[in-house]
Amino acid sequence: MKTKSPFVKAIIFSGKVFLLLLATGLINEVLAKENQPVKANSSGFLTFLGRLHPMIVHFPIGLLYAALLFEFIAWKSNARNFFAATKVLVFTGALSSILSVVFGLVLSKTDSYGSSILSIHQWIGIATMAFAIVTAYCYQKGSRKIQYLMLFATVLGVTVAGHYGAELTHGEDYLSSAFSDNSAVAATNTGEEDNLPDFILASQKTPLSESQLQDLNIQVRTVFAHHCYSCHGPLKMKGDLRLDSKEGIFKGGKNGSVFTPGRPEKSELIRRVSLPANDKDVMPSKGQRLSLNEIQVLSYWIRQGAPWPTGPEKSLYRQAELEPRNPEIPQATGDLTNPIDRFVNAYFEKNNIKWGTPVNDRLYIRRVYLDVIGLLPPADSVDAFINDKHPEKRARLVNSLLARNDDYAQHWLTFWNDALRNDYTGTGYITNGRSDITKWLYTSIRNNKPYNEFVKELISPDSSSLGFIRGIEWRGVVNASQRTEMQAAQNVSQVFMGLNLKCASCHDSFISDWKLDQSYAFANIFSDSLLEINRCDKPTGKFAGRQILYKQLGQINSSASKSERLKELADSLVQPRDGRLYRTLVNRIWAQLMGRGIVEPVDAMDNKPWSQDLLDWLAYNFVANGCDIKKLIYEIAISKTYQLPSVAVKDAGLISAPGFKFAGMLRKRLTAEQFADAVSEAIQPVYGDSMIVYNLLPKEIKGTIPFPRASLVKNDPFLTALGRPNRETVTTSRSSNANLLQALELTNGAQFNAVIKQAAAKWKKKYPDPKKMVENMYRNTLGRLPNAAEEKTALLALGNEPTENNIQDFIWAMAMHPEFQLLF
Amino acid sequence: MNKNWNRRDFLKKSSAATLAALAAGAPVASLLTSCGRSKKIEATADTVILLWMAGGMAHTETFDPKAYAPFQKGMESNRVLSTFPSFPTALDGIKFSEGLQSIGSVMDKGTLIRSYVAADMGFILHSRHQYHWHTCYEPPQTVAAPHIGAWIANQLGPKNPVIPAFIDIGQRFSVGEAEELKAFHTAGFLGNEYGPFMIPDPSQGLECARPPVGMDAKRFERRNQLYDSLISKSPMGEFGSDYQKESLRRSMEQAYMLLNSPEAKAFDLSLEPKEIYDIYNTGRFGLGCLLARRLTQQGARFISVTTEYEPFKGFDTHENGHTRMVDMKKMIDGPVAQLVKDLDKSGHLNRTMIILASEFSRDMMVEGRPGATVKEQVDQPNVVSDMKFYGMHRHFTDGCSILMFGGGIKKGFVYGKTADERPCKTIESPVKIDQIHQTIYHALGIPPDTQYEIEKRPFYTTPDGKGERIKEIMA
Repeated sequence: MKTKSPFVKAIIFSGKVFLLLLATGLINEVLAKENQPVKANSSGFLTFLGRLHPMIVHFPIGLLYAALLFEFIAWKSNARNFFAATKVLVFTGALSSILSVVFGLVLSKTDSYGSSILSIHQWIGIATMAFAIVTAYCYQKGSRKIQYLMLFATVLGVTVAGHYGAELTHGEDYLSSAFSDNSAVAATNTGEEDNLPDFILASQKTPLSESQLQDLNIQVRTVFAHHCYSCHGPLKMKGDLRLDSKEGIFKGGKNGSVFTPGRPEKSELIRRVSLPANDKDVMPSKGQRLSLNEIQVLSYWIRQGAPWPTGPEKSLYRQAELEPRNPEIPQATGDLTNPIDRFVNAYFEKNNIKWGTPVNDRLYIRRVYLDVIGLLPPADSVDAFINDKHPEKRARLVNSLLARNDDYAQHWLTFWNDALRNDYTGTGYITNGRSDITKWLYTSIRNNKPYNEFVKELISPDSSSLGFIRGIEWRGVVNASQRTEMQAAQNVSQVFMGLNLKCASCHDSFISDWKLDQSYAFANIFSDSLLEINRCDKPTGKFAGRQILYKQLGQINSSASKSERLKELADSLVQPRDGRLYRTLVNRIWAQLMGRGIVEPVDAMDNKPWSQDLLDWLAYNFVANGCDIKKLIYEIAISKTYQLPSVAVKDAGLISAPGFKFAGMLRKRLTAEQFADAVSEAIQPVYGDSMIVYNLLPKEIKGTIPFPRASLVKNDPFLTALGRPNRETVTTSRSSNANLLQALELTNGAQFNAVIKQAAAKWKKKYPDPKKMVENMYRNTLGRLPNAAEEKTALLALGNEPTENNIQDFIWAMAMHPEFQLLF
Repeated sequence: MNKNWNRRDFLKKSSAATLAALAAGAPVASLLTSCGRSKKIEATADTVILLWMAGGMAHTETFDPKAYAPFQKGMESNRVLSTFPSFPTALDGIKFSEGLQSIGSVMDKGTLIRSYVAADMGFILHSRHQYHWHTCYEPPQTVAAPHIGAWIANQLGPKNPVIPAFIDIGQRFSVGEAEELKAFHTAGFLGNEYGPFMIPDPSQGLECARPPVGMDAKRFERRNQLYDSLISKSPMGEFGSDYQKESLRRSMEQAYMLLNSPEAKAFDLSLEPKEIYDIYNTGRFGLGCLLARRLTQQGARFISVTTEYEPFKGFDTHENGHTRMVDMKKMIDGPVAQLVKDLDKSGHLNRTMIILASEFSRDMMVEGRPGATVKEQVDQPNVVSDMKFYGMHRHFTDGCSILMFGGGIKKGFVYGKTADERPCKTIESPVKIDQIHQTIYHALGIPPDTQYEIEKRPFYTTPDGKGERIKEIMA
């Protein structure tokens, strides 16, 4: 043949496209590795494309198999008239194999497949595609023998690749991916979480050992918990069936037993979960279907005779230790002498993470100023710090900032107002259904009250600190799970214990082992009289006693007066053996400084920390230091760990995703208050003195305020848009994602525009020379001089004789600058 | 001006970055995930307009009149069911209270619900009942519950990318119970991004949607260029890319697009022909209806227009109920009817659902509901000696009227009934708030079991995902 047939052209073209895509894919991969530990983001559309792969792959499989079959028939019957058809099959097969590979590569990038099987599948798939292209080429040019040989090899490739693909889809990873957004659920309590035990995968026939029995039991209950509890549990008992206890599982429902031990094929349970999605009998009738692996777990369990271990059941959920722990500090190496760095070094070694170069002085001073006192460093201080030659200058800087008691208090007030849902205005005040604790809180932070005392005074309050456990009372009837006593139970456990009791205050929790009566027993401590237990807002006629959530921490004398009970509770919770209380606090402070907790979310302290040793040591050391929060901040802020370059995260969702690897402070965005204060300091005061809620603050505060700080003013549309919550409920982390409403507020909001206008008038007078203006604006906002290109751009915009309008626009652009709004 | 938003326009208007953001955001994601969940619902509406009669609008004085008792000095309070005569509407056998003739004349285009039963929360607090109406949850809640507009913004995103998905017109927070009002004018745990774009005064609407006052388009563009240019010249690139920076730049760009877009003209009420403007111009509520209409025609998603709640003002009649109602009817009658007519004429009513509702009703004698009365808050003498005692001054929760038009709602239909004698409570087909919400969600194609996982708990659009739409009123 002289000219290439359209088929060949198409294949050559596709091949080129493929190579291009492959190259891009490889580049992506390299880039993704550089940005460890964070996975590249992917859009929904790519994900969608990728997920077409499992459908597309059936084309080459079918077509190439059919081609081989035709060749076989042709060879057997010695017929030649199949050849044309075979050729078409081979060509289309080759084409579809290219598509499969492309979509497969997309899938591997967008969905989370971590296993080594993936790379085997990927490379065999790519090889098979190459074979298919060569085969197609041979069908155009080569001899029959080579055609047979190549086709056979291709089909072999398809088979092997298909096998590994099937393992990927239905294999080991499937089950755990269903768990991946629920990190508290541990498949087993061994180190290897989230994996199906080998004995199930191998369908081991020999009797199971005691520990295998336990593992199997956890697996089975996990499947039930994920897919069945919501309809066959404490809330609903559809078909009179409960699958949340051994008793219920073995009793069956109104149609009798749900399985026949030893005979999965005869078991209703297996039949129902295996039905096609549109079948009216399929289970679960709502929600996500069981994966093949999950069905395999249930089948295996039934085939084994549905064994159930004796003795107390192991928990399905990960539970953190309550007791404190003092882990041995790893060896110091080189300049890593700070205990935090030594723990992190051990972690880095284990995870193959290299230490980055500490950030320069300019970034460091900006970080500590904003993290410790919430203010921008003044330009002169930045210069002085950079020129300071003292070897201990960073530690000295942190110390000097921590010594600025009022600045410190005016910064951390925001954090604690959020957490303790304390606000100057809000629901409840109108009917006297709420009290504020601002005076007490400000003074406590200012005086660096030891944390144990701080907690004690909130739980066992006098009138000045009553507001936290008092909650918010609305006129009228409220849901039983929102009575003020229950609010107190929920808020105390969330804020101080990193524990979510909200589920369990309405019904037994589905996401932890906490039970309804435990919540009521805890809430009763805050109550004058015992509360009747309500399940899903319906009275049950039952009552619980009075009990701390963790019995190990001591008993509450139920007949004592409320104030005595609260004192008992406070004493019990702050005792050093309550490791959880202190882990929760150090984790919160760590998260404030490092952008993410050692445990995340910070209110779910049963989740796995990325370093248990570091968390435990910080908490232990914190108590040993007299529960001194400033000391804790000091130790973190002077560590090499804190000084690591910031890590960019491409998608906020990845921050709390399981498998997070710590590599340094996550990039942060200034909070609403930090931003407003930064503008006030660097450009023009955002608030007037009359905006400060002096009547709620301690009297002594007058004279300590450098300018009206945003933490001391009532919430307003500007702060709301920038993320200050209305403090109706506890807030322990804020989103640092920008959004349209926020941008509108900053672009044409009346409040901010007025500030810009005033600023321009002032700056025009102060800096008649535009060059000086630009230099000072850069120094004030970014702590540096403009580079040549920036200066040129700014001067061009300002003109020789800057008008107020031009100055306004320049100021606005600088205030919107990501370098101003983010903490690197 | 009158065009439907299509994909091509969408691509033209949105820069690549915005497009990527939208693609990665809720709409596409919800399309993909909803496959595995409930059956896909065929949407009959793309836009929702909620007309909020704030303060408790008496059904017997508006859309469900009872026997008229003209004012006489010394009349018994208990004898008074309605203080207005009634007149026939476009619906056979259905009468409205005097002063609502215009709305009466468009009732052939919608459904009248006469049997809404508000929650019994043991105490009357307007803002608390309003919270319940707008979020479907009774406050307080353990997490911050989102406004229905925020749910819709979260699930569907903006219809036209340059018009915010959730717009709230007419409510100021400088009035009484402001904090309680703020508590539900929020996207709650869904995140600020889905929160309301507040336009307290519709006549100033343009201020919210154009470059800052005193800045012309050219300068606005220059300012934006300066911003872009300063960023590109900065050494920031060395820090790599992160979501904070990307989202900051993206949202600034969106804001720029919005404030610079031709659609922003919809906010400019002065462009409206005078004769139409005059019909709407009954005050802030009426102009709010006009703004809502203009925004709907440019592709808004959810708009709430309120008569504005302020204690003892507007529909919150604690005295002078009759005379106040005369004014309130003037305020709503023309604009509401014109809104329906205009959208019908421009063809938008087919895909726009209008709901007119209030947190509860009022009665002259009963406070709360029969059998579950609550503490009396209004001093109503048994004998009406003075005009100021003539009116519906107590808070009644057991029978309220709701109007619905368009977006798949039956035309010329009446649902439910209240008693003709005191207590004028619901006696047929009672409707609860979750049914109203589910009816709205269903029309928009949002599945009934839509939920958001917060603190690992599913939080449904309506409590526990229960509540069924009112099938009978859907065409």
